[in-house]
Amino acid sequence: MSELVWKSIGDLARAIAAKEISPVEVAQAHLDRIAALDPKLKAFITVTADSALAAAKAAEAAVMSGERLGALHGVPLALKDLYCTRGVRTTGGSRILADWVPAEDATVVTRLARAGAVSLGKLNMHEFAFGPEGLNQHYGTAWNPWDANTHRICGGSSSGSGSAVAAGLCAGTLGSDTGGSIRIPAALCGLSGIKPTYGRVSRAGVLPLAWSMDHVGPMCRSASDCALMLNAIAGYDAQDPSTSVLPAPDFTAALTGDVKGLRIGVLRTFFLEATGVALRQAVEEALKVLEGLGATAHDVNLATAKHAAGASSAVIGAEAYAYHEAWLRERPQEYGDDVRERLRVGAFVSAAEYLKGQRARAKIRDEVNRALEGADVLVCATTPLVASAVGQNEIAVGQDKVPVRSSLIRFTRVFNLSGHPAASIPCGFTAGGLPVGLQIVGRPFDEATVLRVADAYQRATDWHRRRPPIDPPAATV
Amino acid sequence: MREGAAILSAMEPLTLDVLRTLAQERGLALTDAELTGLLPLVEASRGMIGALDEILARDDEPSSHFHIL
Repeated sequence: MSELVWKSIGDLARAIAAKEISPVEVAQAHLDRIAALDPKLKAFITVTADSALAAAKAAEAAVMSGERLGALHGVPLALKDLYCTRGVRTTGGSRILADWVPAEDATVVTRLARAGAVSLGKLNMHEFAFGPEGLNQHYGTAWNPWDANTHRICGGSSSGSGSAVAAGLCAGTLGSDTGGSIRIPAALCGLSGIKPTYGRVSRAGVLPLAWSMDHVGPMCRSASDCALMLNAIAGYDAQDPSTSVLPAPDFTAALTGDVKGLRIGVLRTFFLEATGVALRQAVEEALKVLEGLGATAHDVNLATAKHAAGASSAVIGAEAYAYHEAWLRERPQEYGDDVRERLRVGAFVSAAEYLKGQRARAKIRDEVNRALEGADVLVCATTPLVASAVGQNEIAVGQDKVPVRSSLIRFTRVFNLSGHPAASIPCGFTAGGLPVGLQIVGRPFDEATVLRVADAYQRATDWHRRRPPIDPPAATV
Repeated sequence: MREGAAILSAMEPLTLDVLRTLAQERGLALTDAELTGLLPLVEASRGMIGALDEILARDDEPSSHFHIL
């Protein structure tokens, strides 16, 4: 297998611009790897090989003719299958939209193309983004590359995104995050991913789960690659009235490697409860690394965090039901069992309960803002669990058994409710070789500091450079 | 419609019959097996949402939109 598939987005873009490698060679290397590994991984729902190669040839011609190139020129990316793509089916991971071909691209798809990215196709996901495990009974459940022998979940809902980037099938992806769907698969698949501030990135042309909670963001193998992708997609969009008019900064310029004097608020109460020993140790070790780089740490408590489940249940339940109401009446048998049942629960959320969720949300947001008055970032584990086996509904944590589904979103959904930017980066592995994620939360519209901390940590560690044991055996001579 | 709304606003314990009535009001044709499966999930959701009263005062306004700046 070609080493090209392990190059970072930044290295690929630089090498292509310098005419050291051809975009066609890069795209073909990734397509070959998809052909070899995806029958097992099931990361892709649709591979657009022909259009990818055509785009790569056009990218090559642009390089050779000396045209001005975008920051992602010739870089092979892929999209969670809820981003509308003109002329390419967009299923939402569902049977209901199995043959739906949008007439327009989502705004972020247009922006990635404008930056020169080459799309390899559409990625698997939990049906309609409504599940943190990444299960899918229509297209098969994506396989976590970090265990070649046991079919483990990638985390969701951006499960195919997690699997594809971790396995080197593409250099980066766009995920989406309503309760943790970028950060959870990033944590379980050993990736870096960031959910930007609500309003930083357009949701226009993105299939919704819950309009007021959905966030669009990148998943890559490093924080610096996330910064490159965020540069391409961030900023006001007239098609999405919830986007902010604040100018987006150059996120790569923030990656100085310097965290001296940075104040870290450490979330231990609630955020380290019912969490595996290996995960707690990894988070504590990560803090030591950051302190060694000159940051200071102090404990912070978010007392309202325990109410995130109730607020999420009201808000996501009602908004998701509102979007799916007609299909639930007319085509219920076409949903997967788990998603249909979860969507139906939202039918019984009253208007008063929905508003109670939104009122609680204001309290949660205010408390996170207060915590960030005394800290530049907040840090905790991304999930209390590592990747469980597909079909495993409970997992042992110490003496207790905890439910996988509700545990996975326990530490992430707080920041969907609050709208703050939050990233997950790898900070270690269990003895069994499964990745652990560190969550870094910043002030509203301060993704730059979140990425600076993540990048500084990655300059000092190599967790993000490790490769999963998924490569096929080398051919014998 | 009025009956279902009254039942929900009063937060009375849910029964299978109440859930069936509410489902019918929403145009959902659910079997008894489906209703039985849903009942504990709806109860759990109502319980978690009800617990939000612990942090809410009467004059706390909703944050319905996160257009922060």
